[in-house]
Amino acid sequence: MRAASITFISLALTTAVVGNAFYNKKQFYPSVVYITKSNPSMAVIYIQALVVVVLIGKLMQKVFFGQLRAAEFEHLADRSWYAVTETCLAFTLFRDDFAPRFVAQFILLLFLKAFHWLAEDRVDFMERSPIISWLFHLRVISLMFVLSLLDLYFVNHAYLSTVSGGASAQIVFGFEYMILLMIVLNIAIKYVLHTIDLNSDNPWDNKAVFLLYTEVVMGMFKVVLYVTFLIIMVRIFTLPLFLFRPMYYTLRSFRKAINDVILSRRAIRNMNTLYPDATPEELSAADNVCIICREEMHSASKKLPCNHIFHTSCLRSWFQRQQTCPTCRLNILRIPGDRNTGANQAANAEAQAQHAPDVPPVPHPGLPNPFMNGVFPGMFPFWQQQFNQPPAGQPGQPGQPNSGGQQPPTGATGAATGTVPGAQPGPIVMPVPPFPPMPPGFGLPFFCPPFPPAPPPFAVPPPMPPPGLATLSEEELRRLESAARDGVAARLQCLQNIQQLLDAAVLLMQQYSNAAAAASAATVTPVPSSPPSSSSAAPPDSGVATTSTTVNSASPVVTSNATQNSARSEDRPTSVSPSSETPSSSRSKEDTGNSSDLTTSVRSDGSGSSSSSINQTVTSALSPEQDEIRRRRLQKFTGIPEPMD
Amino acid sequence: MAGSALRRLMAEYKQLTLNPPEGIIAGPINEENFFEWEALITGPEGTCFEGGVFPAKLVFPSDYPLSPPKMQFTCEMFHPNIYADGRVCISILHAPGDDPMGYESSAERWSPVQSVEKILLSVVSMLAEPNDESGANVDAAKMWREDRAEFNRIAEKIVRKTLGLS
Repeated sequence: MRAASITFISLALTTAVVGNAFYNKKQFYPSVVYITKSNPSMAVIYIQALVVVVLIGKLMQKVFFGQLRAAEFEHLADRSWYAVTETCLAFTLFRDDFAPRFVAQFILLLFLKAFHWLAEDRVDFMERSPIISWLFHLRVISLMFVLSLLDLYFVNHAYLSTVSGGASAQIVFGFEYMILLMIVLNIAIKYVLHTIDLNSDNPWDNKAVFLLYTEVVMGMFKVVLYVTFLIIMVRIFTLPLFLFRPMYYTLRSFRKAINDVILSRRAIRNMNTLYPDATPEELSAADNVCIICREEMHSASKKLPCNHIFHTSCLRSWFQRQQTCPTCRLNILRIPGDRNTGANQAANAEAQAQHAPDVPPVPHPGLPNPFMNGVFPGMFPFWQQQFNQPPAGQPGQPGQPNSGGQQPPTGATGAATGTVPGAQPGPIVMPVPPFPPMPPGFGLPFFCPPFPPAPPPFAVPPPMPPPGLATLSEEELRRLESAARDGVAARLQCLQNIQQLLDAAVLLMQQYSNAAAAASAATVTPVPSSPPSSSSAAPPDSGVATTSTTVNSASPVVTSNATQNSARSEDRPTSVSPSSETPSSSRSKEDTGNSSDLTTSVRSDGSGSSSSSINQTVTSALSPEQDEIRRRRLQKFTGIPEPMD
Repeated sequence: MAGSALRRLMAEYKQLTLNPPEGIIAGPINEENFFEWEALITGPEGTCFEGGVFPAKLVFPSDYPLSPPKMQFTCEMFHPNIYADGRVCISILHAPGDDPMGYESSAERWSPVQSVEKILLSVVSMLAEPNDESGANVDAAKMWREDRAEFNRIAEKIVRKTLGLS
């Protein structure tokens, strides 16, 4: 009603203006001149032009869309509001070019934008309505055709005018139409996908994936366009404020699209590797309806660890959002390979979580623990023997979960018992194999007496032990392997730290022997005093120190060696001090890493490379005889951890 | 073949028309668009909303049932868990990621297992037993806790209004 009255009033005004001009001038040409010279008349003419444009737009909308739906209208109103404000901002940038022609071009751009949005909404609507008529297809196809032609024409026009007339506001139009062209392309791809889906007899599962990738590619094009546009605008004119909002939204949706693709890929991978296909028997045993899409399951169904069965495609799109079972909300990522009894597994996990605090904390080899540092050397082999034997038969029995949450995974037991030849005498503590698991209720009395309550070594309980390697999938094995590699890296670091400790200990012993020499005979030259940091680092490893001194005391170049050592430890006092902490981290990493039998091979590799790397660090910047001593010491040193692993 | 969201909505519509739960009517406003539904909920018996017939609108996302629909009463409502504009605030309508009130456990959130029927039944039970810890409508929550008589009076007024009695 209001629109009609506005149209009527503007028409009446225009008639009045034109009539007035003719009445005054009597001829065509003078009256045209009269109208263009008079400002009020021109204002009326502009208003009339605007009304005509709106009317044409309405007509186009009737032709191409028919009646707009409420949602479409709302959408359009929202977006036009932003577009109008941005256009006003753009006007401020090009106020020198401000002319009726320029304004007309912006209004045309606005109109075409509106049609692009509507087309987008329309194509999205294809997914929502069960009834898609041939008229719908005809309209959408012709609309896309017309829009792409118009966009191409205007891009071309902008290009030509920029080439011939230099940079002007036409650059803005060129980029805007390029982006609109992208939108048309996107709509066309979506339309094709939807049409294929509609015309196929079976649900097309991969459509979502195609749509996702379309989104990413188109988003990338748009981002590239916007960024080039921004750069060009900044270089030629000034900062284009009107560009920021659409650019921000494009970037955001691009990021979201990439994120979606990543999540989707992960979901597909999990789908293919972790969960078994449901067998026909399982399908017929259940009520055979996928609870996600409420349709019958005939094929392509997956069974989760909790025994719930879904369509592969339904499950995939759900896992893109969340990694839980839709029915029971079991977190499927927390549960590795075991598929025997999902409920049991969950209960076990819970029981373990509750049980974990009760288990006496495993004494940490990195912490200065008097019982492990050679003060009671006799305790140590006993401890190792006792705890290696009970679980010897246990590893590799799937379905018998370990009760101790603190224990390392079962796979490590095989590794540990396989390589440790009974009791390993000697006070060196560093490379103690991780605690083997033991049957519940058996190990507890053994644990308590020898170890005083130490602070719990793990901030978080280590992951659940896998029941057996046979049930692990490819993907999980790979993960385990990478964890094992981390463990090896940590071990290398640990070995380097040990080397530094050894250096410090040697230095200390040097001082002792020098002091002793000075006390007995005054002819021996005094040794420069060692820095306090090395002496403070040495005590925790006094056991190691004794072994290394035996090597050194036999050497003839004691003094020079000691000065060298003191220089070295002065060079890096900070690297000596953290050595008492780093083993703790490496230890905890090892525990997570040791969970498979694979680690045995990896580990032997690791220790080999560690010794070589240490040899390298030592041989550099040392004289031949010092080198000799080092090597001997290192042989002794690296010879020890290998059998113990 | 139509999209999976559309097929699921059609299946649910069919199910709701074949076996309508007591006191609930729901269906698409327009059969050309299955993503906007209208529902009529009768107030549960023995509560202050007894006898009322409350119209509501459900809007489904295009990725339903992976995301929850939005529900909004189109009549005037006075309830601790209904915003002043009619939007319903119950946990099964919230996707597991977002938690507007910060107290819901993920176990009671949206999952594809839920359905229109379950949503509407939860809304009925929400009408019967408001959760006054969630403050979608703080005034209503406060009144529900402290001045039950006044709350009942307002509810009754709303019931009469929905029936066109006043």
